[in-house]
Amino acid sequence: MQIRDYVIRRLMIFPLIIVGTSIIVFALSRVGGNPIAIYIEHEMSAEEVAELEDRYGLNDPLPVQYLAWAGGVLTGDMGWSAVSAQPVTEALFDRIGASLELAIFAAIIAILMGIGLGTFGGARRDRLPDHVTRVVSISGASMPIFWFAILLLILFWVNLGWFSTGRSDPTIFATIAHPTGIYTLDALLAGNFTAFADAIHYLVLPSLTLAFGATAIIARMMRSSLVEELNEDYVDAARAKGLPERLVLRRHARRNALIPTVTVIGLGFGFLLQGTVVVEIIYRWPGIGRWMADAVLRGDQATIMAYVLFTSILFLFVNLVVDVMYAYLDRRVVLGA
Amino acid sequence: MSAFDQRRVPRILALLVALAVLAACTGETTDTTTGGTEGPTETEAPGETSPPGEPTTTAAASGEIVNPGLYVHAADDEPLSVDPAQVAAGEAGETVIAQVYERLVEIGPGGPDLIPSLSSEVPSVDNGLISEDGLTYTFPIREGVVFHDGSELTADVVKYNWDRVLTMNLPEGNSSVLADLVASTAVDGNNFVVTLNDRNAAFLNSVVTAAVASIASQEAIEANGGVQEGVVNEFMTANMVGTGPYTLEAWNRGENMQLSIFEDYWGEPAALDARIDQVADSDVRALGLQAGDYDSIETDPTFIGDLEGAEGVEIYSGDFLLEPVHMGMNMNIPEGSLPPEDTIPVDFFHDVNVRRGFNLAFDYQAFVDGAMAGLGAPIPHYLPQGMLGYDESLPTFERDLAAAEAAFTEAGYWDDGFTMTVIAEEGGIFEIAGLVLADSMAELNPAFQIRVLAVVETQFDEAHAQDPLQYAAWIKNADPFADPAALFDAYIHPDGEWGSVHGFANAYADPDLIASLVDEAAVELDQDRRVEIYQELTGLLYEDPVWLIPGNERALMAHRSWVQNFAMNPLWPRPSIKFAYFDKG
Repeated sequence: MQIRDYVIRRLMIFPLIIVGTSIIVFALSRVGGNPIAIYIEHEMSAEEVAELEDRYGLNDPLPVQYLAWAGGVLTGDMGWSAVSAQPVTEALFDRIGASLELAIFAAIIAILMGIGLGTFGGARRDRLPDHVTRVVSISGASMPIFWFAILLLILFWVNLGWFSTGRSDPTIFATIAHPTGIYTLDALLAGNFTAFADAIHYLVLPSLTLAFGATAIIARMMRSSLVEELNEDYVDAARAKGLPERLVLRRHARRNALIPTVTVIGLGFGFLLQGTVVVEIIYRWPGIGRWMADAVLRGDQATIMAYVLFTSILFLFVNLVVDVMYAYLDRRVVLGA
Repeated sequence: MSAFDQRRVPRILALLVALAVLAACTGETTDTTTGGTEGPTETEAPGETSPPGEPTTTAAASGEIVNPGLYVHAADDEPLSVDPAQVAAGEAGETVIAQVYERLVEIGPGGPDLIPSLSSEVPSVDNGLISEDGLTYTFPIREGVVFHDGSELTADVVKYNWDRVLTMNLPEGNSSVLADLVASTAVDGNNFVVTLNDRNAAFLNSVVTAAVASIASQEAIEANGGVQEGVVNEFMTANMVGTGPYTLEAWNRGENMQLSIFEDYWGEPAALDARIDQVADSDVRALGLQAGDYDSIETDPTFIGDLEGAEGVEIYSGDFLLEPVHMGMNMNIPEGSLPPEDTIPVDFFHDVNVRRGFNLAFDYQAFVDGAMAGLGAPIPHYLPQGMLGYDESLPTFERDLAAAEAAFTEAGYWDDGFTMTVIAEEGGIFEIAGLVLADSMAELNPAFQIRVLAVVETQFDEAHAQDPLQYAAWIKNADPFADPAALFDAYIHPDGEWGSVHGFANAYADPDLIASLVDEAAVELDQDRRVEIYQELTGLLYEDPVWLIPGNERALMAHRSWVQNFAMNPLWPRPSIKFAYFDKG
């Protein structure tokens, strides 16, 4: 099956999956605590709680409540996000831009570092560089991310004063329009280098922190795949033809070693896009991970439902992209088989 | 793409990233200029910064003021709403409302005394603005006051605002404090006149100064949804048009709220712009304070140790807060509702010996020294420090294990023991209070088992709002009240807010006596007589307690030492500071 046909077929079944997901999301919201928990204060009387339930239609039958919510979703009205005091759709747009920006920067760092380290170590198996690479990988995978983040802040914020937390300098942020919600892109569109440098400046620590763990995973996958590929017959054949080791590595072994690594990268990017709660909380990054954490802790069901639905759809697309990339990189893979 | 291109793509990307990072590092945006003491007219815009390329490192460590002209406070959460009609007491929205909106009278910086605000005088019987029968209050509205949108303040606008709260009557808000007392509102020339249902000694201190009584621009409200019964005004939820010394310049969700000096403010203008940063993690707040990026931070006693001795950081410990930690004892437990592990009967707390036994067994010193880092104290039962009528010689529970043993023996629980669950919010002093209680009781008698059910705030609030309550005991701080009338009505009166939920009528030896004393004090305008009544009640409640009060915290905040005029008033909404009083230098 051609890639185009495969993509169309997958896209056609997406609506069914999304409807199924929305039903599950809605059902979970009704069993996972009171849907209006965020509005309930400890000093409220039972009558006041009942008034709130009435306002939010919780006395209607569940199917009616679901249809009201699903109808709203279809028209772009996903309710009110109490944790951000704005409509959910608006909040989602604001937050996804921040998370997307962070995820892209972290992914770029993680891919470059991960593939580089994995190749460097795999090509020098069981020698000192390989051991060093593995130590870096293991520490990246095992170091608690909140601790790493705090260490970076102590060094670069408190002691050196190079970086701060947050997403931007508020006054510079206010100087440009934000049509995309991605600050670096907005700054480029506005042609404002100061704003662009400011955006990058605030991205450095959170993206490095987020990339550290992902780098370790990519490097380990890349290394083991490369070691495997370097033992294959076609590599011996390439060497026998007299190709320099550098070309054997780059043109043959590394390309094939990238195939399983791409799967890890693709799915890993999906997870990064969801926003990493700890990184967003510690660096005060206003992304969807922190938004979701606030919503869960404060019982904001409208936000939780929107987030889960959004990430479900996101993963449908991420999986599709990964499958297509997999087929592109490895011609032996038959899509839809 | 050719092999040549493929090889170079990662390198080019790496180079671009490195260049971008380098550019960003040299483009440090922290302002490092020396501030000195600057007058209000010389202040910079919020967060105004040095151009990229200026010196970058550790301005705070070198003693230079970071962000001159701007006061930055790190808060631990973000408002759900900034509409006075929608904000609950103690909610984060009150923090901003206190800076941007004003009320008819305000609590001054020095203590409980009231000062004129949008009313040009504080009503009293002496100045004739409170009627002889104590039912009618007249507020002469200050002239020449304009809102942030340029509209004028009049008595009609004040009436519109009070009526708006009563009409909207949002259950998540605090409208009941007006609805319970106000019989009618009227305008007489440029006077705003309020008539009460009954005399109330706490009306000015607890109602007129409350966030719910803030005054917003009628023009702005009418242009953005107006007033509808039971319907939230989404514009007002996220926007503020008041008369205060600050305007809400921007609300960047999840990041900060920026407040600018209001140039046309009728009173003494603020010296500094202000910004409230949302910083959920307490470690990050502490680091930000040390870095100098924050001028003050929401401070929890549990991390005072991290900040004591830090260069350029001071710990302010002021008067006591008016919201002591409470352990509620439920005397209205429905049959079969307790957790299965609990072995106590539903009338467990009906016995005064049990209630006294708990009060005598609790290790107050351990709680104050540990959870409150020594910055607290037990309170007399039942008047907190700073409250009208407080006297340190009033009877206060102390740990007395022999007396506690006698009480539980008298109640018949000493030999067989019991297991009881107490619910509390996780991760803070409330959970610690529960753990101290568990240890205290186990030390008294190993057969006394206290299970501490620590849950997230929303779960606690939901459980706490149930009537009848499904737990025998809970731990939380009291709602802050500026006057004992409101406090005793909510927490002591057998028919009051908690009295009816907890079933105090099942507990008090003489509930009618308690009720009559609380009612009498609430309408008594002679302060000396009120003090007598509250002290009499305190004696009665020591013998017949319906709460266990682990302790009361002092107002506490860590701030940079360059902040001038720093002061907290526990009677102001948390974090009990007003930025307009501060300067940096």
